[in-house]
Amino acid sequence: MAQVRVESGAAGHGAEPRGKRTEAGEATYLIAIAEALWEEMERDERVYLLGEDIGVYGGAFKVTEGFIERFGPERVMDTPIAEETIVGMAMGSAMEGFRPVAEFQYADFMTSGFDEIVTATARYHYRTGVPIPVVLRAPSGGGVRASNFHSTNPEPWFAYAPGLKVICPAFPTDAKGLLKSAIRDDNPVVYLEHKWIYRRIKEVVPEDPDFLVPIGSAKVQREGTDVTVVTYGAMVHQALEAADELAQQGTSVEVVDLRTIYPLDTETVLNSVAKTSRALVLYESNRFLGTGAEVAAVIAEEGFTSLDAPVMRLAPPHTPVPFSPVLEDAYIPQVSDIEEAVKKLSAW
Amino acid sequence: MATDVHEMRGEPEADWRAGLSDDQLKDVLYKLKLCRYFDERMEALYRQGRLPGAIYSGRGQEGTHVGVAYALRKDDSLFPTHRDLSAQLTKGVDLKRVMAQYWGRIDGYTRGRDGNSHIGDWYGNRTFAVISHLPIAYPIATGAALAYQRRAEPRVAMAICGDGSTSNGRWHEALNVSAVYQLPVVWVVNNNQYAYSTPNTLEFKVPTIAERAAGYGMPGVRIDGQDVLDVYRIAHAAVERAREGGGPTLIESVSLRWRGHAGHDPAKYVPKELLDEYMQRKDPVKRFEELLVARSVVDEEEVKRVQERVERAFDEGYEFAQNSPFPVAEDVTKGVFTDDGYWQREPSREGGTG
Repeated sequence: MAQVRVESGAAGHGAEPRGKRTEAGEATYLIAIAEALWEEMERDERVYLLGEDIGVYGGAFKVTEGFIERFGPERVMDTPIAEETIVGMAMGSAMEGFRPVAEFQYADFMTSGFDEIVTATARYHYRTGVPIPVVLRAPSGGGVRASNFHSTNPEPWFAYAPGLKVICPAFPTDAKGLLKSAIRDDNPVVYLEHKWIYRRIKEVVPEDPDFLVPIGSAKVQREGTDVTVVTYGAMVHQALEAADELAQQGTSVEVVDLRTIYPLDTETVLNSVAKTSRALVLYESNRFLGTGAEVAAVIAEEGFTSLDAPVMRLAPPHTPVPFSPVLEDAYIPQVSDIEEAVKKLSAW
Repeated sequence: MATDVHEMRGEPEADWRAGLSDDQLKDVLYKLKLCRYFDERMEALYRQGRLPGAIYSGRGQEGTHVGVAYALRKDDSLFPTHRDLSAQLTKGVDLKRVMAQYWGRIDGYTRGRDGNSHIGDWYGNRTFAVISHLPIAYPIATGAALAYQRRAEPRVAMAICGDGSTSNGRWHEALNVSAVYQLPVVWVVNNNQYAYSTPNTLEFKVPTIAERAAGYGMPGVRIDGQDVLDVYRIAHAAVERAREGGGPTLIESVSLRWRGHAGHDPAKYVPKELLDEYMQRKDPVKRFEELLVARSVVDEEEVKRVQERVERAFDEGYEFAQNSPFPVAEDVTKGVFTDDGYWQREPSREGGTG
């Protein structure tokens, strides 16, 4: 995997312009997302963007910088601060034939539009058969010292609501291919970007405007034989770093990147566990009832005969995301925590 | 921006029929009587234990429901509440399928996935399937209106909520956003004076809901919900204003909820004198019937025939619902997403007619 760590930072407001691909054709995660939006807007005039400060300002993270100049204020709509109405407006326009992509400034603020997401948008098709092709994009996740209200991983809340597809990509290529699939999907999709990855990870990303990554498909990002780490989002990168370290110590780690939280690709997870017989479920949503709780249950229930050790979870404690670097590092699983957990599993 | 209500009305005597033909006036009478009869019969079935689930009576508010919905064209959209079934019936929703929904049958608009008046017929009559969390549909109506505006279509969205909904943040959000973008939408508040048991005095401090419109930069009109023609007249003016690009309007139509919040609620919190005043002297159905007789649009014979048609329609709907099969249990997980194509197929019907 051609990935390079680039500049750190990008905690949020006033972040630098998104820039372009490198001469070698590498795109950051953020640029890959912007490319997906741009290409789908070029391809389909029903696609439009709405959200707070996405037009003239280009978005809090500058994902949509330059869009308003190309597509105009009707397709790059700056809205009042009204999250319920941003979601509702997206839904109503989708019912009348548009394909809206709404941006939340931070995934934390999705709770301000919660009812329109989980009650109206998610359930409408089951009740009526009317497709609701809405994409809700939001920067999620911690590790960037953005504190309590700008660091949440809300994916379990939305994966719990029947009728929503939930995507959490870790790499620029997946970010682009999955966002394009989400925009072309006839169902509501919650697309959670991880702000820690935005400018840190880049790779050569396909330029084919019809390049898609299917929703609901996990990917083995690193093959191994001793322990499976099932994870997604920023934790994929922590897991890969831990796997490098552990390889030098003689432990072979397989890293499964879920990419989509719902629908969950249990087959890829179970195939990996069948190979390694040991599973660590690593996630950044809270440990209690978080994404990994479901993954662990699936492995225990359907992969029991493969297991040589109990399924282990590594995730943040049941607290809000704290600010102080000391506290935040204690909250979010670190590379050393992953190494320790894998060693514990290997010792079984 | 105070709006002179009278600008939206013509000369009272010359315009007594609000621009409606005799046939249209008779149609309005039929709809009023149908909605009243449906409401009464369904409550009777509920009390007899013959109707599963809940009922939410709109009795006494037919003037509002029929009046506002009659102002819409077929391809205009309507975003109602559970109490506004009369507005949906006025817009054209099929009574047979409505009743199949009440009995959880496959021919109901939601194929048994939702009950009672949580109905919508988006493709047929452009009505939104009701969601309980009022006014959850207000923001969604802005989206439909945005679509019409973007495509320069001469279409309008109308949303209805009650007085209680005006306390909710989404009510404010949606009105504000609709004014900012000058969307073709009409906001109707069916002020029936009680939100479940909570009176207007505990919901808002301003004397009227209509005057809040000024705070959003749109016209607001308060009307008498007992007078279906005046409701229609104002709603029609607001709808056509929106259609021509004039932006949103807020209409507060005042009536009284004759029955409880739902079938189980005896509504003892409503003062008897108030209820008597509305039921005995302000009945919107009776009042309109008397008007048409006085204006010689119909005679007593014709009123009788209208009532017979209403009762026949109800009986046919009831028969249809009882004979419609239940959905099949195996389909419970289908159609959460579009991917399995459940809603594109005719549903399985081997569930019998239990």
